[in-house]
Amino acid sequence: MMEFFAPHLPLLELIFIGTGYALSQAIVFRAGTFSVATSGFAALGAYCAAILTVSHGIHPAIAVALGTLLGLLCGLLLAMPLARLRGVYQAIASLAFVEILVALILYFEHLTGGPLGLHNIPRVVTPWMLFFAMVGTMALLIILGQGGIGRAFDAMRQDAPVAASLGVNPTKYHVLSFALSGAIAGLFGGLDALRNFSLTAEQFGFGILIATLSAVVLGGRRTVFGPLVGVTILVLLPEIFRPLAQYRQAVYGLLLVVVMAYLPFGVFDSIVMAVRNRRLGRSGMVASKATS
Amino acid sequence: MSALVLKGVGKRFGGLQAVSPFDMEIARGKITGLIGPNGAGKTTVVNLITGVYKLSEGSIKFGDIDLTEAPRHEVARAGLARTYQTIRLLPDATVVANVMIGMYRLQSTSLLAQMFGLPSSRAETARFRDEVYVLLDRFGMTRYADYPAGALSYGDQRRVEMMRALALKPEVLLLDEPVAGINDVEAAKLGEIFRSLATDGKGMAVLLIEHNMRFVTNLCDYVYVLDSGELIAQGSAEEVVNDPVVVKAYLGEFEDA
Repeated sequence: MMEFFAPHLPLLELIFIGTGYALSQAIVFRAGTFSVATSGFAALGAYCAAILTVSHGIHPAIAVALGTLLGLLCGLLLAMPLARLRGVYQAIASLAFVEILVALILYFEHLTGGPLGLHNIPRVVTPWMLFFAMVGTMALLIILGQGGIGRAFDAMRQDAPVAASLGVNPTKYHVLSFALSGAIAGLFGGLDALRNFSLTAEQFGFGILIATLSAVVLGGRRTVFGPLVGVTILVLLPEIFRPLAQYRQAVYGLLLVVVMAYLPFGVFDSIVMAVRNRRLGRSGMVASKATS
Repeated sequence: MSALVLKGVGKRFGGLQAVSPFDMEIARGKITGLIGPNGAGKTTVVNLITGVYKLSEGSIKFGDIDLTEAPRHEVARAGLARTYQTIRLLPDATVVANVMIGMYRLQSTSLLAQMFGLPSSRAETARFRDEVYVLLDRFGMTRYADYPAGALSYGDQRRVEMMRALALKPEVLLLDEPVAGINDVEAAKLGEIFRSLATDGKGMAVLLIEHNMRFVTNLCDYVYVLDSGELIAQGSAEEVVNDPVVVKAYLGEFEDA
C-alpha cells in the first residue's frame, strides 16, 4: 500500500494544502462576499511561521499557531474597509491587498529575503499533519454551517437586504467570514512554508489566487466537500494528461470551460443537487398518488 | 400596551416629496389598514418604518425604543417583521431553512457555541426546527418542507414569506399586499389568520397594506388612506370608504355634463 502512495505523496500534500486554501476562499463566498484575499492571508501565515522558526528558533508548532493568529487578525482588519463594498468592487480591493502584500514582501529584504526568498526552512510538516489539518478544518466548517452562523451566512449570500430585515447584522457576519478565511489561510500558509525548504513571494501571487478560485468554482462553493473535489481534480488532471505532452494545458483549460458551462454549481454541488431533486421527485410522486 | 407611533414622518428623494409628513399609530391587538391607489407611497411607509430608507423628518417610536435612526437589523431585533410586495425568499434554500432564518432574532447561544457546535447550539437548532414544523402545519405546507422555496407556486411562496415573518415572533407585523395575486377564497383564509394574530391575547400589532377595498373593510379596525404621498383620510373602515375625498382618489371625480 505504502509503495503505491510513496511516489504520489507530493501530490497528496498539494491536495491537502490546496483544499485548505480553497476552504478559506469558500467560506467568504458562503457569506456572500466576493473577496479573493486568501493568498494574501496565506502569505502572512507562511512568512510568519518561516521567519519565526528560522531566525528566532521558535518551535514550529507555535510559529504556525502565531501565523494562524496573524491571518485571523489581518482578516479582521481587512474586513472593516471591505465590508462597505459589494461584489466585483470587493474582489478588486482584495486583489489589491494581495498585490500590495507581495510587493511589501519583496521590499522588506532583511526580513523576508526579498526576491531571493527564504531558504533553509526546516521541513517538519508531514503529509499526515496536513491531512489532519484539512479534516479538522472541514469538520469545523461543517459544524459551523449547521448552526446559526450557517443560517446567517446562507441568508446573506442569497439576499442580503432580506437577511438584514430579519435581524441579521450584515457587518458582524462579514467580519466573521473574513476572520475565519484569514485564520484558515494563515494556518495552511504556515504549514505550506514548513514543508518546502524555501519560500518566495511569487508563490502567493496571482497564480495561486486564480488556482484557488477555480478550484472552488469547479468543485462547488456551497458544500464543504466541493473545494476538496475541485482541488483534487485540478491537481490530478495535469498528471493524467501527461501523455498529451505539450497539448496538456490546452486540454486542461478546455475541460475547465466545459465543466463550468455544464455544471455551473461545480462538480460536487451539482451531484448533491441532482440526488436531492431525485429524492424529492420520488417523494412528490408518492404524495400526489396518495391524494388522488 | 405600547404601539408603534410615527410622528411627522416624511420622506424626500432629492427634491421630490415622496411622502409628506404624517402621524400614524399602529395599535396592538388591532389590524391597522393602509390603503391608497398605486404609487401613493404605501410601500415607502413600510420602508421608512423598517429602516430601509432614512427619514427626512419626524420620528418613529415603539414603546420606549426609538427606531428613528435604527438600521434594518435593529428594527427586526426590536420585534418588527415585514413581508414584501414582490416575494423575496431565499430561492435555493429549502422551505424549512427559509422559515428558520426568521428565528434569528430569538437566537440566544453565543457565536463560539455555534462555531464549535456545542450542545446548547445544537439544542437550539433542534428546537427551532420543531417550531418551524408547527408553523408549516398551521399553513398546510408540511409536505413541501424539504423543497427549495424557489420551486414552489406563487401562492405557496407567499405563505412561506408569511411563515418567515411569523417565525420572528414579531410584536409588529407589516404586511405589504399579502394577498396580491391570491384568489378570494385563499385570501379570506389568510385574512382569518391575520385576525387571529391580532386578537389571540399576545396582541400583535398588524399593519395591512392593500388596495383591495373589500378585503380591507372586512378586516381592518382602523384605516389610513394615502394618495400621492399625502395622508388624505383616516378612521374606521366604513367612515373611510364613504369619505368623498377617498372616493375621489380611487374613482376620480364625476363631471357634471
